[in-house]
Amino acid sequence: MKFGNLVIAGIVTGSIYAVFAVCVSVWYRVSNILNLAVGDFAMVGALGVDNLYRVKGLPLPAAIITTLAVVAVFAYAYDQVVLRIAQDGPRRMEGIVVTFFFTFALSFFIDGVAKMLFGTDVHAAPALWNGASLTWGSLHFERAGLLVLLCALIVGGAFWVYIRYTLGGKALEASGENPIGARIAGIDTRRYRRLIFIGTAVIAAVFGIVESPITGYTYLSGATISLTGFLAAAYGGFRKPGRALLAGLFIGVLEALLGGYVSAEYGDTVLYAILAALVLAWPRGLGFESAVSS
Amino acid sequence: MSAASAASAASAASDDGAGRVALAVSGLSVSYGNVVAVHDATFRVAEGDACAITGPNGNGKSSILMGVTGMVRRRGAVEIFGTQAPNGDVRWAARHGLTLVPERRQLYPDLSAADNIILGCYCWTRSIGKARRSGPFGRALDLFPELKPHLKQAAGTLSGGQQQMVAIARGLAADPKILAVDEPCLGLAEAVAKRVYDALARIHEAGTTLIVVEEAPKRALTLCNRRVEVRNGVAGAA
Repeated sequence: MKFGNLVIAGIVTGSIYAVFAVCVSVWYRVSNILNLAVGDFAMVGALGVDNLYRVKGLPLPAAIITTLAVVAVFAYAYDQVVLRIAQDGPRRMEGIVVTFFFTFALSFFIDGVAKMLFGTDVHAAPALWNGASLTWGSLHFERAGLLVLLCALIVGGAFWVYIRYTLGGKALEASGENPIGARIAGIDTRRYRRLIFIGTAVIAAVFGIVESPITGYTYLSGATISLTGFLAAAYGGFRKPGRALLAGLFIGVLEALLGGYVSAEYGDTVLYAILAALVLAWPRGLGFESAVSS
Repeated sequence: MSAASAASAASAASDDGAGRVALAVSGLSVSYGNVVAVHDATFRVAEGDACAITGPNGNGKSSILMGVTGMVRRRGAVEIFGTQAPNGDVRWAARHGLTLVPERRQLYPDLSAADNIILGCYCWTRSIGKARRSGPFGRALDLFPELKPHLKQAAGTLSGGQQQMVAIARGLAADPKILAVDEPCLGLAEAVAKRVYDALARIHEAGTTLIVVEEAPKRALTLCNRRVEVRNGVAGAA
């Protein structure tokens, strides 16, 4: 039952990409800035908890809460200092290319600090759900994988309900679609930008914590996660979290199948070749043009 | 006419109105960098009035509304029903009864028409259920029955006239006591413009104070009983 197990593994990986893609899309919707640092918050989550628990000897719940609090406070400070100057000042910076650098630089900054604090070795947060993998017939389910999937469902579902069924969610969408129109309706667009930036940073950190026991993280792992989440978000034109979620799952499953059937070594190369071919063949359908024009 | 004399003339023109003062503007100036768009405008609008702000394009009419509602920073004082409005706080103005229907509508193009309208309620509630059941939201929908078949359609795909109706309906959903409408007929066919003006007349008849910015005084005066003329950023009585 190799196929089934590969699909399960792919769905677990894909759900991580999906959540990061949703985080990128939702924040892009509200701020019109691509967050390339989202994966770095995941890395900080994983290595931060590992460091506080294993090296500093804090109890696990305290290590998790402290790490998440640090991520939230850092995201808040970054919004208040950098994004506020860049977006709310008299000379507002706009355009996907210019604003790209704010989070690109942030990503490098976080990586640098992480290298100093955590070193260059592979580490992982301790597994939150220990035990042998669960089996159902010939299918195997890693406990950590199921935890990742559960978190993805909760986060994805919560975003979906929030955007679709609450006035706050619609205000969030309005903030991204037309900031002037949003202000006219009395919507505080800065508050939403801040809220979602902090929220997605904490969500990313949580995923780093639950996922790192599967793959292990180094200080550079964030960039790869960001890139794949970013790619999945691009397939949804950066503005469609639902499509980004599906794209994330698709990439995860495709990656697992290619790794299993084609080549473990060159799986990623083939994967990115297929993704590039898809974009070339069907740019409008995949939302790339709308992302660029917006 | 000097700025000072223009300002006092505008004030005098509006002071003779009966009823309590809905909006009092004194010494309002709005600048964009070094460009002064509005200079020292003073006028009052009584409760229940319909006031036209007229003048050629690019003379500062819209900037007056932007300054009054807090969309841009201003100098001078704005009072809404006797309470001093904080500078640059649109939400405060909306919560105290002054809502703007802006030039070029400023809708959310990918959101449905219904979502656009319901977001007007955001200034007084965070509950979507409460907003849907509310009087202002119901009245906003009732005013434009022709929008009903299009409520689920993305606002960006509606015709210009329908978009203007959505913008006015969003303004009404905020439950305004004063509705400030900026160039409501810009780019609309005459028949549609008439329909928009009919709707504004009904809003006024229902007791809402209206401020309408119009390039064409003739059309504005079919609805309005007062007029403030703006020339080169200076407001004066007409």
